Parts: sequence; C-alpha cells; structure tokens
Amino acid sequence: MEEGTRPDAALGLDGVPHTGESITNEGMLVEPQSEDFEHAEQAPSDPHWFKGAVFYEVLVRAFTDSNGDGTGDLRGLASRLDYLQWLGVDCLWLPPFYASPLRDGGYDISDFRAVLPEFGSVDDFVHLLDEAHKRNIRVITDLVLNHTSDAHPWFQQSRTDPEGPYGDYYVWSDDDSRYADARIIFVDTESSNWTYDPVRGQFYWHRFFSHQPDLNYENPEVQEAMLDVLRFWLDLGIDGFRLDAVPYLFEEEGTNCENLPRTHEFLKRCRKVVDDEYPGRILLAEANQWPSDVVEYFGDPAAGGDECHMAFHFPLMPRIFMAVRRESRFPISEILDQTPKIPDNAQWGIFLRNHDELTLEMVTDEERDYMYSEYAKDPRMKANIGIRRRLAPLLDNDRNQQELFTAMLLSLPGSPVLYYGDEIGMGDNIWLGDRDAVRTPMQWTPDRNAGFSSCDPGRIYLPVIMDPVYGYQAINVEAQSNNAMSLLNWTRRMIEVRKQHHAFAEGEFIDLGGSNPSVLAYKRQWLRPDGRQDVVLCVNNLSRFPQPVELDLAMHRGSTPIELTGGVRFPEIGELSYLLTLPGHGFYWFQLLEPEQLGESR
Amino acid sequence: MTDRPELLEELAAALPRWLPSQRWFAGKDRPVTAVRPLASTVVLDGDPLLLHVVVEVVQDDRVEPYQLLVGHCSQPPDVSAASWITTDPVGLYEASGDADLTAVLLTKMIEGEQVGTLRFAHEPGVELEPGLRARPITSEQSNTSLVYGSRYILKLFRKLSTGENKDLVLHRALRDVGSTHIAQPLGSITGELAGEPVTVGMLQQFLPDAVDGWAMATTSVRDLMAAPSTPEDPGAQPHPDEVGGDFAGEAERLGASVAEVHADLARALGSEPVDAGELDRTVKAMLDRLDAVAARVPDLIPHVPALRSAFEQVRGLREETGIITMQSIHGDLHLGQVLRTVGGWLLIDFEGEPAASVDERRALRSPLRDVAGMLRSFDYAAHSLLVGQDADEAHVERALEWATRNREAFCEGYAAAVAGGTAGLGDPREQSTLLRAFELDKAVYEVSYEHANRPDWLGVPLASIARITDGGDRT
Repeated sequence: MEEGTRPDAALGLDGVPHTGESITNEGMLVEPQSEDFEHAEQAPSDPHWFKGAVFYEVLVRAFTDSNGDGTGDLRGLASRLDYLQWLGVDCLWLPPFYASPLRDGGYDISDFRAVLPEFGSVDDFVHLLDEAHKRNIRVITDLVLNHTSDAHPWFQQSRTDPEGPYGDYYVWSDDDSRYADARIIFVDTESSNWTYDPVRGQFYWHRFFSHQPDLNYENPEVQEAMLDVLRFWLDLGIDGFRLDAVPYLFEEEGTNCENLPRTHEFLKRCRKVVDDEYPGRILLAEANQWPSDVVEYFGDPAAGGDECHMAFHFPLMPRIFMAVRRESRFPISEILDQTPKIPDNAQWGIFLRNHDELTLEMVTDEERDYMYSEYAKDPRMKANIGIRRRLAPLLDNDRNQQELFTAMLLSLPGSPVLYYGDEIGMGDNIWLGDRDAVRTPMQWTPDRNAGFSSCDPGRIYLPVIMDPVYGYQAINVEAQSNNAMSLLNWTRRMIEVRKQHHAFAEGEFIDLGGSNPSVLAYKRQWLRPDGRQDVVLCVNNLSRFPQPVELDLAMHRGSTPIELTGGVRFPEIGELSYLLTLPGHGFYWFQLLEPEQLGESR
Repeated sequence: MTDRPELLEELAAALPRWLPSQRWFAGKDRPVTAVRPLASTVVLDGDPLLLHVVVEVVQDDRVEPYQLLVGHCSQPPDVSAASWITTDPVGLYEASGDADLTAVLLTKMIEGEQVGTLRFAHEPGVELEPGLRARPITSEQSNTSLVYGSRYILKLFRKLSTGENKDLVLHRALRDVGSTHIAQPLGSITGELAGEPVTVGMLQQFLPDAVDGWAMATTSVRDLMAAPSTPEDPGAQPHPDEVGGDFAGEAERLGASVAEVHADLARALGSEPVDAGELDRTVKAMLDRLDAVAARVPDLIPHVPALRSAFEQVRGLREETGIITMQSIHGDLHLGQVLRTVGGWLLIDFEGEPAASVDERRALRSPLRDVAGMLRSFDYAAHSLLVGQDADEAHVERALEWATRNREAFCEGYAAAVAGGTAGLGDPREQSTLLRAFELDKAVYEVSYEHANRPDWLGVPLASIARITDGGDRT
C-alpha cells in the first residue's frame, strides 16, 4: 500500500501495536487485542468503592517525567503512587493518554487501543495499574464515545472507501441541511455542525471541532466496536471510564440532538457490559448540564441506576465561589435544593477546579436565570471562574479560604475530585494562554525543574511556575510535607477525617438554614448497618467577618458535638437553639454523639 | 366547662402592672388605668388549665381589646420570669411559652373544634401533622408567634380588631390565585368581640431556611463598607457593583416578587382607578402628618416648604387619574417584611402599618406605597452601619451609591415583572411625582418615629428628605 494512503499513516505509531497495522481480506482493520498484553491485578473487591472515594485528577504530562524528555509519562506517574497513597487518594482520574494528534488536548483520539508514545506504552499503563492496585488506588480514564480524530484509521477508511466495512462508521450526508436544530457548541471556531470532505465528496457531522467527526451510532457495528474498546481496557484492569460528551451520541431530525432516548439506551448497554463482565468498575458521565437533566444519566432509579454510576455536578462549583463572594449561603442552598435525588447505587462527583472550563451555556434558560444574571453583573466572576486559574490564585492565596473551600468540597454531597497541585496551593501561569495556564508541571522539590524532570529546562513541555509567590522554590511537596502546618498536611488530615465518617460519603444532606445568611450549616446523616445514626454537622462561615449562628438542633437534644479534627467536646445540645461563633471564613465539622455513644468512647 | 371567675378577678387586678412590660403591648406611651375581662374560654380544663382571655385595656379615653393565653398549674412550668402575671395568691402565667399547653391549640385546629366562642379551623384541604410542640419566637414586635416543630407558625394577634383580619384575608386571596411569594395559610382561630367575629390567630407554613431581607441587605452593605481603597489613589473608592457582596441581583428579584404579589392581589381582589377626591384626601393626610411632625421636631422645619410643595404636586395628577390605580396592598412593606428562601423571595405580615387605623389599613391604596416603603428601607439599610459613627465622607458616599444601585435594581425588577405579567402599574419610576410624595410621607413618619425612639437615627430620614426634595435622587 502507498505510504500516503495507509489508514494508519497519520498515527505516528510505527513500531508499536496499533490499529490498522494490517487489513484483512474483508477490508477490516486489524486492531490490538487485550490478550496481546499483560493484565493488571485487580484492586480489592468493593462494588460501592466509588461512593466514598476521594478522586484526584492528574495529567500524565504534568506529573513526573521518568525518561528525561521533558514530558511527564505513565512510568513517572507510577513512581509517585506512594505520595498519592499517603495523601489519601482512592482513585486517579487521567484525562486521555491515547494516541492523538493533540489538536484538542488528547480528546481527539486517533487510536483507542494505543498510548500516546510520549506518555509510554500500553505495557506502561498496565504497570501503573498494577502498582496502583497494590496500594488500593484505582484508576479511571476519559473515553470519548461521541467522536474520533479525523486521523483515526476508521475515518480514513470511511472517507476513502464508502462501500467498505467502515463506510457507514460516521454520519455522512450529501448536503449540510439535516439536524438544523442542533446548536453549535464551539461557536467561536465552528460555523456549522457539517463539514465537506473533498475525498469522499460528502459532508460529515461533528458536534465539536471539524477535525472530530461524530461516530454513527445508528450503525450497530459502531456500537459493537465501541463496546469492544471498553472491553479492551477493562480486560487490562482499568477501574472505569469518565465518558466524555455523552449527551450527543445519537441524532434525530426535529430535536436538538441532545439527551435523546437512544443515547440513554446505548449507555444502558455499556452499563450492562460493565455489570455482567466487569463488576466493580464504574462509568462516570460528563454531561455539562443542569442537575435535573443530568440525573437521567444515572438511569432508572427503580433499578438502583442502570446507566452511569457517577456524574459530575457542574453547577455546584461556580455557586460555591459565588456564595463566598456574596457572603451568602443561598447560591449553594438553592442549587442543592434543586438537585434531585439520585438512584441508590449512584453518586455525584464534585470539584472545585479541573482542567476544563466552566461554561455558562447550561444556565441560559429562564429558570436558571440566577447564575447568569449574577455572573453577567460581576465582571470579575466572569473572568476568573473560567479556565485560566487555579484554586489558590482564585482565592488571593488566602489560606483560610482555601481551607474553607476544601472543607466544603470534602463535606458536601458527592465524591470529591481534587485537581493535582491544589493540595499544595500551586499557582497558574496566565501568560501561557488557554488551558495551559493550569497545566504546568507538578512542583515536587525546590530543585531544577521542580523535581518534575531531569531534562534541560528548555526542553520541558511547559515552564514550571517561577514567580515569587507560587514558584516551585516556595511551593513544593518536599517543603510542605516537612511542615506540619502546611496546606498539604492540612489537606491530608481532612481527607483522613472524612474517611473516618461514612456519613460524609453516603449520608443524607440536610440544610439547616438559619437566620444568618452568611453561615451555611448542614448535617450529613447516615444510618449505619448496626441501626445507629452517624450524624456529622458542618458549619461554614462564608463571610470574611466573624459570625454567630443559632442552629435549631432540637431533634438532637441531649447529644454532644465532638469537633472532628481535634476531638474536643462542645457543650451539650439543650432545649434552646445551639449558639456557635465562627471566625472569618471559619468552619467546623462535628460528630453528634448521643449520651450512650459518649459512654462508649470513654 | 368552668368559668373560673375567681381567676379572672385575679388577672384583671394584676394586668395593669404586667402589661406595660410586654414587648407586644402597643400602649406603652400612657399608664394603664384599668383592665376589664371581656370574654374568657377554658381551652383546656383541669390541671394544668389553659384559659383564653380577651381583655379591654383602658388608658384614659383610649380603650383597646387584647388577647391573652393564661396558664394555671399546680406544678409551676418552666417559663420565663417575665411570663408570670401574678404568683400570689394563685399563680397565673402567660402561656405562650408553655409547650405543653400550646400544643393543644394545634390539636384543636386539626380537629376543627369549637370551644365556647372560639372556633379552631384548618384551611380547606390542608392536612396538618399532629403532635408537634411549639416554641415562641422572640423577634416579633407587636404579636406573638409560635413555631410548631419547624413546620408551622401560629401568629397570635395581640391587639384585636373586629371584622375580617386583613392579614388572613390577603393570604387567602393570594393563595387562591396561586401566589408563590407567600407562606401558605394553613389554619385560623376565630373568637368573638362585641358579638362580631374576630381573628385571634393564623397558622402558616414555617420556613426554617428563611432569612429576612434586612439581614440579607446589611450583609451586602457590610461588605461594601469594609472594601479597601487603594493606597495609590485613596480618593478612588470601591463601588457597589465591583465588590463581592453586590446585592443588585437580589434587589431585582425582590422587585419582581413584589410586583407579582401586587398583580396577584389586583387579580384576586380587584383594583379601581383613583378619583380626584381620593387624591385630595391623600394629599390632605400627608400635609396633616407633616404639620403634626414639624410641630414636634424642629429639625424638620427647614424642609417643610419643599415637602409641602412635593405633596401639593400630587393634586396636579388629576388628569392622570386614569393610570393611577388603587388596590389591596401590603401596607407596611420594608426589608424586614420579606424573606429570602431557597425558593425565592416571600412577603409576610400583610396587616398593614401598625399605627394606621383599621379602616385605613383595609382601604384600597396605591401599590406605589409599598414600592416607596421598600425604597425607604434600602436607604435605611445603606446607612445602618453609619448610625452613631463619626461621619466619614467616603463611607457616606458608599452608602449613597449602594442605596441608589439597589433602589434602581428593585425598580428594574418591579417594572420587568409587571411588563411580563397581566396587570400592574408598570415602571414605578414613571409615576415619579406620586412615588416621591409617598416616599417623603414615609420619611416624615420616620422622622417622627426616630425623634421619639431613636434620636441617633434621625439623620437618616432627614438626609433622605433633603436629597429627594433637592431632586438629587431619581428613584
């Protein structure tokens, strides 16, 4: 076959196993199989592990470089697992590490069955899984179901051979008039959801960039092929997937082509594969929509949930920022009040920061007016809440606020997702532009390249942060792990406390209201298997000024609040409302112990 | 049922001394010359005993009826010392703090019982949870409210007036048209006074998550006052739209909520165009109040010509009478009468201005009076942190900017909501003559109140009067 027309020509994967190395007589691309590789040992069995897990999002590129080429890799990440275990992380979430032309941060996947060479190989990934599982740490990664890169051999076959086995893998059309009601998501760069392909002489459908053609889920072979992609990684031992951009799998004339019933049907198929063949692994939906729409992705509540095990709660994060800025609990109370109950076997994922941007598109409807009007009125919020900032600089490097935000992340309903580097209060580099500002190398030591890589500093993929406040000489893991009062040690301690009380993981959330608008107080209440209630009380001062609060705890009369980080006993709850005072941006976590439970602990 | 006349005698003898110490007692300005029992009902017989009593309080020529819940028990209950009306020879105490006794009121509303002349009822279709115990809330001014298990709130009206109770009537009317900006009415207790029915209690949904508008607004003011100026340019002050605690979004939503309540009231109870006679009466009432207050408060005198002129201008609106409408309104609207809940803003306490006569409270009035009340309240909130402090010009300027921004936002929200709804009066700023007069009238009332009660605050309404009559303030 001619060099230029080989379907795998654009992959850059010569010498490693990849899709399209050869083609069968029937015209099928030969793809790597899981049997070709070692499989990792599984983590200890626990079907509900995700409900209480602390997740940690880490970019392979940014964590540790094992071979001195200036780019972080899977072996480098594996070498830091002791640190992550020490911190208390239960599960790593890795954004895509697949083969990719990297025109969309790796979300443009050109081979689902190969690793981006600069990150290592499939074998390196199995090594990472093995080492992680030994430490009871699980690993999930992104999987883009909706589309591929236009460099994927499937697309190359589809455009050159319309009659071949891949001819119907994508959504082709003679004109660009179909599905006119679907909005254009990336309005800044794309003018249509259709792009003309001169090779095939037809238009192809794409909800995202024009170099990311949508897969055609009407074709049963596409569905099977994608289920086999799931199986490939699950066979190797991966613990689950974050399913990217799930609302868009199917198209239907006369609809906005989002959240269609058949999209949910396919997700149910994915779930069935996981439940039947790989129990204990999870699916996490990325659907950047309002909670009442997102709950659909958990599936049927009567069945305990039969689609995704988890979904991100997107609107909570900006509301936490808004609440502290307004010194008012209502932005948070409102959104949690509007969040529907989820199936028994499901869990939210909540976060303060991640690699991605907050979009306001989801809040344009009339009833979602609140965020929009508040944000539109506040230029600083509009600029700062976006993609360019990390937690510490967003909060003016104020330690009290960082602690308050983290305390809320660890105690509001849902499994918390930390973003790498935020545990030491890393800064960002807004001069790098776009999303790279928050993707700089992890700061391990005050040494060269912050201990991230031994390469020549000029070769590093992005410069390490060097400013006097957030630079690696001031902010790094080594220095903070040696300082008992550091943010790192504080974060570790809070994670530890969280894990001692299952109420944080699965407890019912009860907003306590109260007459002081600046204090957000809530209970997490969990019925233990032994029939006892595990009740945790969280009180957060969203104001920078000291505040009093009187809480109606009448139903816990006689119980004693025990402060959870120090174990100090507070006065017993009596007939009157319970008075607490908090310093500016202060917070408390208490366990409420009934008199007989107190006796036990003596 | 025993009438227990001997207890009533004891009570009547002790009340003249006890009443003036009660927060809700409205006649603190004069001594109580006599208290006469008008009616008594044994709500719970035996030991403990719960007596519902209506007494007539005589203060020279003023005679007004009040209701009391009186307890009597051989085992003295755990109530505050101030609750004891008399201890010798028999112990009688005000029973709203005795949860054992007040629980009976809820039970009887659930049962829909009639006890003597007292009629306990729940609203049609409402199912109440039995067995809840009550605690009194302490913040109330002129009535007493009991909260049952964080679910319901029972407001016991202290000073009684016969005829339909405006608070209850308006709540029911708003409920019937599906208003989402009220705490739903759930039940009532009706008694009898001089042969006429009188509402003595109203049960409503209680909202444990609610924060009153005053606390919300002053949280924002506090944030603005504490915002730093920059060392490079100390003259450049932070503005309310730049700081974190900006309240304009809330003020706008609050304006929309008030407008929706007005539209709902007009829909439920009707509205009519104002006539010339009504305009004249309104102006006369404003001028009378002005004269009366100016006679007592010398600080007001320099403003009298400008105020008089602003009030007189209302007479000139005769040609526009077609667009000025009268309807049922809240009547005493301010930030303390609105609640922020997770579901949005609610209005509470539709009784009307406490100082107004019963007839005045029930009369149809311009909804602009409510708008004016809210605008005044924004002014108060803005200045609340400065009262009693040495004047700091920069802070006064911030307060002014805060008030202007949030008054504007409130009017924006009000105007937008009415435009999108069915009925209403449009943008209140378009009726500036009337709105200004109502606001000034309210400020004159405030001058009188502050002069008598809180001299430190007198500067707040006086400064507003100066500013508004000077034309320096658009809304």
